[in-house]
Amino acid sequence: MLRNDKKSIITFMLPASILLLVFMILPFLMAFGLSFTNQRLIESPRGTQFIGMTNYFRAIGDNLFKTGLKNNTIFVLVVVPLQTSLALALAILVNIKVKGNKIFRAIFFIPTVTTMVVVSVIWSFLYHPDGLINGFLTTITFGAWDGIDFLNNTTTAFPSIMLMSMWQGVGFQMLIFLAALQEIPDSFYEAADIDGANTWQKFLYITLPQLKHTTTFVIISTTILAFRLFTQVYVMTGGGPQNSTYTAMLHIYNMAFKRLNIGYSSALTVIFFLIILVISIFQRFVLNDTEEEV
Amino acid sequence: MSKRLVLALTFVLILMVSAGVMAQTEITVWYHSGRGAEREVTRDQVERFNEMQDEVFVNLVELPEGSYNEQVQAAAVANDLPDVLDLDGPYVANYAWSGYLHPLEDFMSEEMKEDFLPSIMAQGTYNDHVYALGAFDSGLAFWGNRKYLEAVDARIPTSVDDAWTYDEFMQIVKDLQALEEVEYALDFKMFDVGEWYTYGFSPFFQAFGADLIDRDANQAEGTLNGEKAIAAGKWFKSLFEDGYANPNPPGDTEFINEVAALSWTGHWNYNPYKEALGEDLVLLPAPKFEKQATGMGSWAWSITNNSDNPEAAWKFLEFVLQPENIVQMTDANGAVPARSSAVESSELYKEDGDLSLFVEQLETIAVPRPVTPAYPVITDAFTTAVDNFVSGADVEAELDKAAQEIDQEFQYLGIN
Repeated sequence: MLRNDKKSIITFMLPASILLLVFMILPFLMAFGLSFTNQRLIESPRGTQFIGMTNYFRAIGDNLFKTGLKNNTIFVLVVVPLQTSLALALAILVNIKVKGNKIFRAIFFIPTVTTMVVVSVIWSFLYHPDGLINGFLTTITFGAWDGIDFLNNTTTAFPSIMLMSMWQGVGFQMLIFLAALQEIPDSFYEAADIDGANTWQKFLYITLPQLKHTTTFVIISTTILAFRLFTQVYVMTGGGPQNSTYTAMLHIYNMAFKRLNIGYSSALTVIFFLIILVISIFQRFVLNDTEEEV
Repeated sequence: MSKRLVLALTFVLILMVSAGVMAQTEITVWYHSGRGAEREVTRDQVERFNEMQDEVFVNLVELPEGSYNEQVQAAAVANDLPDVLDLDGPYVANYAWSGYLHPLEDFMSEEMKEDFLPSIMAQGTYNDHVYALGAFDSGLAFWGNRKYLEAVDARIPTSVDDAWTYDEFMQIVKDLQALEEVEYALDFKMFDVGEWYTYGFSPFFQAFGADLIDRDANQAEGTLNGEKAIAAGKWFKSLFEDGYANPNPPGDTEFINEVAALSWTGHWNYNPYKEALGEDLVLLPAPKFEKQATGMGSWAWSITNNSDNPEAAWKFLEFVLQPENIVQMTDANGAVPARSSAVESSELYKEDGDLSLFVEQLETIAVPRPVTPAYPVITDAFTTAVDNFVSGADVEAELDKAAQEIDQEFQYLGIN
């Protein structure tokens, strides 16, 4: 088959393209259109009307949406660097050739294959004032620790969710790093040994540069996942207490399905999409830079 | 080959004949499959209805409760609603406003209208038309633990008129809190963030003389954040700050484990409470503050405008709303029977029955949640406000925010 055989190119692209068109592109275009209307989930007797930019103006003054975006940003800024470094550390750890390292790989990966809803429910129990975490802290401090209601306290709720999200997500990134680590040729390290490099120098000058592409990929994918933060807060806190765990996705969901306001939540979706698009383009720049260097 | 042909022809013939026999109207009924007992009764009633006559055939479709509203909404948008469906009280106005529902008052005789509890009629009526009729209503009141009430020498009221006043109530709460066995005098089920907050706590606002919205003007500003509402909010918040109630109970066990003395909840807890406390369980009327108020409303049946045969659909509704069938349902789910004639034949609710107080409350002091298409926003905004100020936020600021969001919705809907 020729490389530029148009017929076969089209044939092979068709299934994926149709799926993308029907389930991704069309809905988004519809959301874009709906964002200029007052469409409701239960329709108004006057029907749906074109209301121009009203929804967008309303979004600008929407403090809850701003709170959500702020929380999303904090989440990304804290979780992305921490989770990426943790994933790398775990990958290096399970890459050490000792007996039983495969068992550890499996253990670290189990949370990732568990459904987020299940993980969230279990962690809600762990975080409870009478839960396992408080019980453990009380025991090891001989009763000095006073049980904290982690998820109902404005200062601890969001960090608790961050911790859980990292625990759940880190296994996947670890696996990607692990694959990349095993790609680095042993000869590099052997040469470094001959030059008398110590372990830290080997990590800094061989491992890290060799992982540059992987790291960029992990950072971008974690960022996008972090912005989509929804399940955890929906199940564990519902955005509370006092909106300290409220996120943009939760707000969009609430506006559409609790308040039946499809038009407005479509406008929020478009705004949210643009924000993520800008961030992705920015990250893409970084990626291109590194490609030229290599 | 010819054998097959004969077989095929026979089939066609049978089909045609049976179609002739089944010249009955088929109607589709959507139903939220809630608790097991309710489901079995509904199934049984549909079966009996289909057997007892051959004009109307009911095709019952059960949808899971968790996503029931979403499915109905999707069907409404797609113009795919069934003939009959059951709706959660507060949504009725929304569907009626959108023109999805068929008015029912013309089907009803005067006696029938009189026979329904006023609360059922109030919750099902929008713009002077009756759009939904429930087989049962809900009841909300304080449940008390007789042991503790007697320990503090509290007066035990038995009728709506006889209810505790504000001062009496606060004194009793204080005394109960002082008992050693009592961890919290009050149990408000704060873990159940959602519709329970509006259903359960807006009566306190009404008791203070406030409300969720000004129901004539369709406006929240000045009502939900008015002086009286702020007073109600501050009072409610203080119950948690003063340690009378747990803002974050570990689960629904406080009253059953007898660490809470008074529990503010609905009829649905009767069975578990009775089991746990036995003779010590007392039902107490909603206390009398500036006013006296309690909640009402439950699932109700509606006929949609999508139905080609509203008369046939009504035949089914008429059947499930017959007093005997209402009692069959309420015996199973413990709810308040929707018709006075059904109340009389219900063990729990008839005069001097264990729960007859609920009927009295529904007839006198129950307030419907606002019957308006803006209700989903009202309940969400109110729930968020209560949730926030109970966990520490400023009452006035939270109610201001909620009022603003509700008024924005009224404006959006163009009905203020």
